[in-house]
Amino acid sequence: MSDATQLSMRDARDAEDKRLLENGEIDLLLSGWVETIRGRCIAKMRGVVGEDVAQAVCERLWRELKAGKHRDGRLPFRVIVHSVIGWVCNGWNEPGWRETELFDLDGAAPDETEAVIVDLTLEQFVATLPPGDGEVGALYYLEALEPAEIAERLDKKPNAVHQAISRNKARLREWLEE
Amino acid sequence: MIVELETLLDELARRHARGEPLDVEGTLAKAGDRADELAPLIEAFLERAPRRPPSDEALAYVRSLDDPPMLRARVAKALRVDDVVDSIVAACEIQPDARPKVRRYYQQLEGGVLDPSRVATSVWDAITDVLGRSRASLAAPSLGATPSAAPMYRAERLFEPSEMPTLSASMTEPEPPDDVDALFLGDPG
Repeated sequence: MSDATQLSMRDARDAEDKRLLENGEIDLLLSGWVETIRGRCIAKMRGVVGEDVAQAVCERLWRELKAGKHRDGRLPFRVIVHSVIGWVCNGWNEPGWRETELFDLDGAAPDETEAVIVDLTLEQFVATLPPGDGEVGALYYLEALEPAEIAERLDKKPNAVHQAISRNKARLREWLEE
Repeated sequence: MIVELETLLDELARRHARGEPLDVEGTLAKAGDRADELAPLIEAFLERAPRRPPSDEALAYVRSLDDPPMLRARVAKALRVDDVVDSIVAACEIQPDARPKVRRYYQQLEGGVLDPSRVATSVWDAITDVLGRSRASLAAPSLGATPSAAPMYRAERLFEPSEMPTLSASMTEPEPPDDVDALFLGDPG
């Protein structure tokens, strides 16, 4: 997969988010992020509190979306989502933070100038893979094909696909640790 | 058996690609002592993975964000009001004939019209146990709710005219608070 293709995939998703935002389809927009929000919050906070934090993130984003924030499209919505997750997770255990957050309906939004633009994407990971393993990785991680289907699609032996998947597993971890 | 972190991460990535529930909590549990090592990797993965098409469940959840949090938590668990009431009655050892009163109080609490700070810890313990959420998240105000989003109540059944209460001496004087009142309204003593 070329760099241009990967870039266009990410841009296409950002564009879809922007379209939903502009059309006021904010329920569809946020619902696409719910599982990511839950997953990150649980990983960060652990246990039942992760669900609580995820709820607070969703409520915050929902409130902002209903108030018409972010429609200017200055930042991709994914950046806003990850910024709010980080902000809520970091503030959750600070004394008094939740009370302020919960009751101050027009309270300060996360400082987006501090947000790290999430530039790294799973497609970029696939792009780092050597030829052969990269083709397998794209079908495995991005298109969710089963190894047998990948073997058929790429006209490879099943064993070769399994070996590529095994190598990619280790590379995925290394990439995420960077 | 402790599974290799790479395998757990790979399984999570595959669930993400297939649009299945991520089960981050279960994944971390499988990592055992290495959960602290795995958690940042999961975070990093989710920061970089594309968002998924919205599921019906996620859409329903977002559309319920204006509901009071306790109602939302109960619906998410597919529980009926009576299920929660049963738990409260059992945990607080309330007499069966007081159950309807508990039910009314619970509905007021769930609807956000009863001050949660006055509710006894034993009641909260029963509620948080059955809903699987913390008290802080359940008692929090509904952020998206407007004042007009008042709770709605459905009468068990309408009164028949013949059942309409007539004024009597006993009705003109308020009943003294009982144990159930104390559990939900605080002990006046």
